[in-house]
Amino acid sequence: MTPVLSVSGLSKRYGDFQALKDVSLEVAAGELVAVLGPSGSGKSTLFRCISGLTEPDSGLIELDGTAVCGPGGDMLRQARGRIGVVFQQFNLVGRRSAIGNVMTAALPELPIWRVATGIYPVVMMDKAEAALASVGLTEQRDQRADTLSGGQQQRVAIARALMQDSRILLADEPVASLDPDTARLVLALMHELARSRGLGILCTLHQPELAAEFADRTMVMRNGRLAS
Amino acid sequence: MRVATAALNRKAGFLHRAAQRAAFLPLLLIGVAFYALCLSVAEVSISRLWEGLPRLVTWIARSWPPDLSELDVLIQRGLETVAMATIGVSFGAVIAAPICLLAARNVGASPVLSLPARWLLNALRGIDSFVFALIFVAAVGLGPFAGVLGIALHTAGSIAKLWAEAIETTDMGPVEAARMTGAGRLKIFLHVQVPDALPQLSSILLYMWEFNVRASTVLGVVGAGGIGQELKNSVDLLLFDRVLTILVIILVMVTLIDQLSATLRRRLS
Repeated sequence: MTPVLSVSGLSKRYGDFQALKDVSLEVAAGELVAVLGPSGSGKSTLFRCISGLTEPDSGLIELDGTAVCGPGGDMLRQARGRIGVVFQQFNLVGRRSAIGNVMTAALPELPIWRVATGIYPVVMMDKAEAALASVGLTEQRDQRADTLSGGQQQRVAIARALMQDSRILLADEPVASLDPDTARLVLALMHELARSRGLGILCTLHQPELAAEFADRTMVMRNGRLAS
Repeated sequence: MRVATAALNRKAGFLHRAAQRAAFLPLLLIGVAFYALCLSVAEVSISRLWEGLPRLVTWIARSWPPDLSELDVLIQRGLETVAMATIGVSFGAVIAAPICLLAARNVGASPVLSLPARWLLNALRGIDSFVFALIFVAAVGLGPFAGVLGIALHTAGSIAKLWAEAIETTDMGPVEAARMTGAGRLKIFLHVQVPDALPQLSSILLYMWEFNVRASTVLGVVGAGGIGQELKNSVDLLLFDRVLTILVIILVMVTLIDQLSATLRRRLS
């Protein structure tokens, strides 16, 4: 099976600090890969490089067999739309509804007047509702994001990523801000979505027991190096 | 030995503080001299105030009872002031929106646009509505419209600055998340940053409205309409009973608007 995400020889240096040293990994469709490691081990840098927030010094990043990394902001920006991202702090617009937040993923396709007025095409609304339904938040559709619980907010963030139709989902410590029970529910949901949608998920975690329970494969990051 | 060192240190500390104080003395003298100079340039004179006092007292005495014969006209002029401030601020907000978009540092406009936007904002803010109104009276003639334009231009600068600051304090996390979807800056500004800052943005608008109702009572002095024009005419004609009526109207009007605006702003926060 061709990997949906393939990283090879990725290195990144901040001044004297070598954050990533020759990192290579692959994520196949339908699998959830966990990256464990203490803070400062390079997990976040890896995450930022793949998501296009940081330019690596060297190395290759391929999405569905297409190189996305390298000079040229356009290529990066195009690639960004193809990677769904979930953050530790959810990063929702607090004063928007759940469905309004899911709609964020449709911004590149919407004309500016629709963004300004909030009048979205019916197909988009249907799609956003379907995304909310697949994370089990149909009833919270019009509830403001900052009134949702932490677990619900992270599920809205996952629905936002699903709205992008991406084949790869990056999750940076998605459950670190949640209580243990909610964390397990969110990870179970991610695992289930990987299976049902053929989504490749790369997820950083810091609890080995969660990785053992929900990940198909686990890798450990230490001092900028990755070990299986 | 240690005691001696400590004593020496103490002495050194004392000398250091004394030296600091000595350096402060010339600064103090310069400050005092500057203040004295200002006093004389400003022609502050107790004797002149004393001489003018009886005149003031007679005026105050003559202002009672207030002249209510033209109350309806004066109230109408007061409403004209409120209307000028309202329309002026709304026009100002329309001008301010694009300036704010370009000037806010976390929206990400290119420096080619954001620097001129910040200069424009500072220029507009630096020139008072009074000065703008003076120019517009010459351009579009006497009356409230000149006042509206004056308020609009000056207020545009203030609103843009305060709005940009409000946008700059919003959380960047959701912005980053939206960037990852590939959305452009203008769409992120509209969909993420404006809703996030909406309570502050509205509060700023209300505050500018309230401020301009207060400030624009004097615009009439340069012929830019509103109750200020009645005030100036009445003072010029020494009609102090009429002046009293106008002052009461201004006071009531400003207090009501202040209260209304404060209540609405409290609801927002």
